[in-house]
Amino acid sequence: MLAAELLKVRGRWLPWVLWLVLVAMLALTTFAPYLDWKGDGGGFLEDFERQAFVLPWALTSILDTIQSLGSILLGIVAASLVGTEYSWGTVRSCLVRGQTRSHYLLTKLLGLSAVGLVLLATAFAVGLIFTLITTHLAGQPISLNVPDGPSLPEVPLMFLRSAYSVLPYALVAFLLAELFHSTAAGVGGGLVYVFVEGIILAILGNIGGVAADMRLFFVGHHVSAVMELNRIGSEAVDAGLVLRPQPEASDLLPPAQAAVAVAAYCLFLVSVALWLFQRRDVRS
Amino acid sequence: MNSPISNSSDVVLRTAGLTKRYGRLVAVADLDLEVRPGQVYGFLGPNGSGKTTTIAMILGLLHPDRGHVELFGMDTRPHLAHLLQRTGAVTEAPAFYPHLSARTNLRIFTMLSGGIPPRRLDEVLDLVGLLDRAGSKVRTYSLGMKQRLALAAALVHDPQLVILDEPTNGLDPAGMREVRQLIRSLGEMGKTVFVSSHLLHEVEQTCTHVGILKQGRLLAQQPVSELLREGQALELRVTDGEAAARVLGELDWVTAVTREDDRLVVQAPLPRAADISRTLAEHSIYLSELRPHENTLEEFFLEVTGAEEAS
Repeated sequence: MLAAELLKVRGRWLPWVLWLVLVAMLALTTFAPYLDWKGDGGGFLEDFERQAFVLPWALTSILDTIQSLGSILLGIVAASLVGTEYSWGTVRSCLVRGQTRSHYLLTKLLGLSAVGLVLLATAFAVGLIFTLITTHLAGQPISLNVPDGPSLPEVPLMFLRSAYSVLPYALVAFLLAELFHSTAAGVGGGLVYVFVEGIILAILGNIGGVAADMRLFFVGHHVSAVMELNRIGSEAVDAGLVLRPQPEASDLLPPAQAAVAVAAYCLFLVSVALWLFQRRDVRS
Repeated sequence: MNSPISNSSDVVLRTAGLTKRYGRLVAVADLDLEVRPGQVYGFLGPNGSGKTTTIAMILGLLHPDRGHVELFGMDTRPHLAHLLQRTGAVTEAPAFYPHLSARTNLRIFTMLSGGIPPRRLDEVLDLVGLLDRAGSKVRTYSLGMKQRLALAAALVHDPQLVILDEPTNGLDPAGMREVRQLIRSLGEMGKTVFVSSHLLHEVEQTCTHVGILKQGRLLAQQPVSELLREGQALELRVTDGEAAARVLGELDWVTAVTREDDRLVVQAPLPRAADISRTLAEHSIYLSELRPHENTLEEFFLEVTGAEEAS
C-alpha cells in the first residue's frame, strides 16, 4: 500500500518546487555570509563570523534552515497530499477498493514521511555541498575536529533531529486538511500555526515567570530543546533561518524529555486525524 | 409493495432497515434490498431519490443512521475492507489522479485490492476501449473516457459483485450501448451486478431484477420478467373505438379498457383474443389490428410511483 501511495506522488511537481525553494534558501544562508565576510584578518571577530559558513559550525545553520523552512514546506506537501484526494474525489476510489480508513490515513502518513525524508535529506546533502564549497573558498580545512564538534556518525543524527522536529508542523497541516477536506485550509492553518506560535513563544519568554513556564504547552519550545543538541559551541554564529525564539538552554527541558513531548504532540495530532476520518462520511 | 426478503444466506447484497438522514431530510428510509448471485439488479429511481446515498452506504463511504448492510452474507460493519476486495464499484463521479496515466491509476487501485498480474491491466483497458490511450494522463480524458476507465477500475480485480452508480452518465449513445452490453455480459458470466439508473429503458434492457426507489423508499422489488408479464393486456384497433370500449367493458372477464390514441388497451387474459374478436363482430364492430400489449417498465414505474403519490 505504501508503494501505491508513493506512486500517487510520482509526477507531482509541488514537492520538487518546494525542494528548490529550500535549496535556494540554503544557498542564501551559506553563500551570503561568505560574500559578506572580508577575510582580511585573523582576529577573534573574523573567526566568529567565519563560523556561519565554515564546517562544522555551518551544519547548525543548515539544519536550522531545514527545520524551519522544512516545517512550512512539508506542511504544504502534507496538506496537498490530503486535500487533493478530496478535491479529486480519489479518497472515495481508494476506500471502495477495500482499504480500511485507518490503513488509508496511516499509509498516507507513511508516504508523507518517506517523501519528506527524501526531500529533506537531499536538501541537506546539497546544503553540505554548499558549505564544503564555502569552507574551501575560505581556505579552511574540511574537518569536524573542533571543540564541541560532532563526530562523523553524529552528523546523520543531527539531520534526523531536524527532520523529527519538522514532523509536528507537517502533522498540524495534515490534520487541518483532513478536518476541512481542503488543501487551502491545511496550508493556511499550518502557516498561521508556525508564525503565531513563534510570536506567542517570544512574548511569553519576554514576560517571564509563570508566562514563561506556559511555553511548555507549545511544541515549538520542545523543538527548540531538541534542536539545541545540534549547536556546536556555545558562542557559534547561526546564519540559518529560525522562525521561533531561541531560549537559553537553561529554560528548556532536557532534550530526551523534549523529544518525548514532541512525540506526544505528534501522537495526539495523528489520533485526532484518525478519529475524525473514522467517524465522518466521505462525500463526493 | 413486492419485497421478497428471504432468510437464505445465498444473498450477495442485502440491506436491512437502512436509513440515512441529513437533518430533517430523510434521504433513505428503512431500505430492505436483496440481491442474489447472478442477478443484474437495476436500482431505479428519479434523480434525488436516494440511489447514490444507498450505494455510498453499501460501500461504507456514508455511515447509516440506522440499519446495516450485508455483503456475501456477512455484516459489513466488522468486515468491510475484506468484503470490498470482492466487490468492484463505479461511484457517482469517476475520480482519478489527473497527473497520472490511466494505466498507472489502475495500478494504484489494483495495489489497494491486493495486486493482479500486469497482463490483466491491458485486458481490462482493451475491454473498455482505452488500450490505445492507456499511457495518456487522465487530465486529458473526456468524461466518457473517465467513465470507461472507472468501469475498468471496477472490473480489473475480477470481482464477484459489481456495483455501478449511473455508469452511462457522460457517455455518447454508442458508449451507452457498449456499457449496456458489458453489463449484460457480466450477468452472463455469472457475476452479480447492482446498477443504479434513472433511465427506464436502460434497466429494462439490461437487468433481470429491479428495485424502484422514490424519495428514499423502496416501492417495488421484483424480477423484470414478472413485472412485464403482470397485467397482461390486448391492444386493438377497431372501426368504432367508443362502441368497442362500451361493449368490451361489459364483459366480466375484462378488467379494464383504456383508450391510447387510436388504440384500445383491454386488460384481459391473452387466450380471450378470439372471444374479443367474436364479441365485437356480433356488435358490427370490426378489428383492423389485434395483438398482445406488453407492459413496459415505464408503465410499471409510473404505476407504482403514481400509487405512492396517490396514497
